[in-house]
Amino acid sequence: MNCPTKRNEDAEILLDYCAQTLSPVQMAEFENHVKQCADCSRLVEAQKEVWGALDAWTPAPVSINFDARLYARIAAEQSVPAWQLWLRRIFQPALPYPLWKSAVPLIAACALLAVGLTVRTPEVTHTVQPQLRADKVDIEQVEQALEDFDILTPPAQAPSGSM
Amino acid sequence: MALIPAQPSANPGVKKDMEAVAALDRDAELMLRVREGDDTSFALLLERHRGPVVHFLYRMVQNPSVSEELAQEVFLRVYRSRATYEPTAKFTTWLFRIATHLALNWVRDGKKEKGQESLDEQVVDGVDRQVRDRQPTIEQEMLREVKMTEVRQAIEALPAKQRAAVLMHKYEELEYAQIARALNCSESAVKSLLFRAYESLRSRLAHMAG
Repeated sequence: MNCPTKRNEDAEILLDYCAQTLSPVQMAEFENHVKQCADCSRLVEAQKEVWGALDAWTPAPVSINFDARLYARIAAEQSVPAWQLWLRRIFQPALPYPLWKSAVPLIAACALLAVGLTVRTPEVTHTVQPQLRADKVDIEQVEQALEDFDILTPPAQAPSGSM
Repeated sequence: MALIPAQPSANPGVKKDMEAVAALDRDAELMLRVREGDDTSFALLLERHRGPVVHFLYRMVQNPSVSEELAQEVFLRVYRSRATYEPTAKFTTWLFRIATHLALNWVRDGKKEKGQESLDEQVVDGVDRQVRDRQPTIEQEMLREVKMTEVRQAIEALPAKQRAAVLMHKYEELEYAQIARALNCSESAVKSLLFRAYESLRSRLAHMAG
């Protein structure tokens, strides 16, 4: 058999052994293994000690008027109007609704959508394009720049017949 | 405990359900009768499960008055749900699922500080009863009390889900599948929870041998 200390999948056999819920065949097989395996032997001993310690914990007895109090609560519920009982069944079910977890993202999405639709979008501000203004352009500067271009441009070659 | 004999039901739907639960358990059958309006069956269910539910909750919340309050809520919810009860699983699975849900909520909401005093009072009461019953010596009683405190603290130190799994496994002897349904998780998750919980308990309680 596989050693329960080596594989987590086999660990339950140790719990079942201490709880004495193994079949006689499994029990014998495991006991044989424990005799040969020091790790399992130590683990079984430790688990038995824990089991014994837990056995020592006896709970407080149930109070004698437990039933009377419960029946009083049931009687009080029966005098409540039917619509209130229905509300209680809806909002205080025996167990939580199994689908509430999957409903949360849906509700959150709807809420976001509602908020998005109701909140006013801010007005778009138009950006003013910079415009060139002719009166600000210095004519002299332009002329000077054009002259500079002329100086930098290589002179056109003279026609070959003139040489 | 004597159970009431099975009565044939006039309602064909109930008859069909009865046949369906015949293989399940006697408790589910009783619960179906409660659904039919038979309060005697509810009294029988209460008689059978009052102790285990209160003790489970006592070990979960470690407070006697709170555990009884929560247990009352469990049975009240069972009674409230009688009209819509469907025997899809063992009755104890459903019962402990409600109990676990309430206990985990209570632990999560951090209410346990409230009742620490009453736990201590109960311990003193417990000691008094033991002295009357078995007449142990003062030393034996002190030793027992020290051990009990260590066990309680070790259990309390476990994460709430591990604690619930250990209590259902050790004291209520529920099957892995039942614990899984009560905790709303897979069987392999339960085994993992139990293994980790017992590992913690071994390291804390192993010295208490003998």
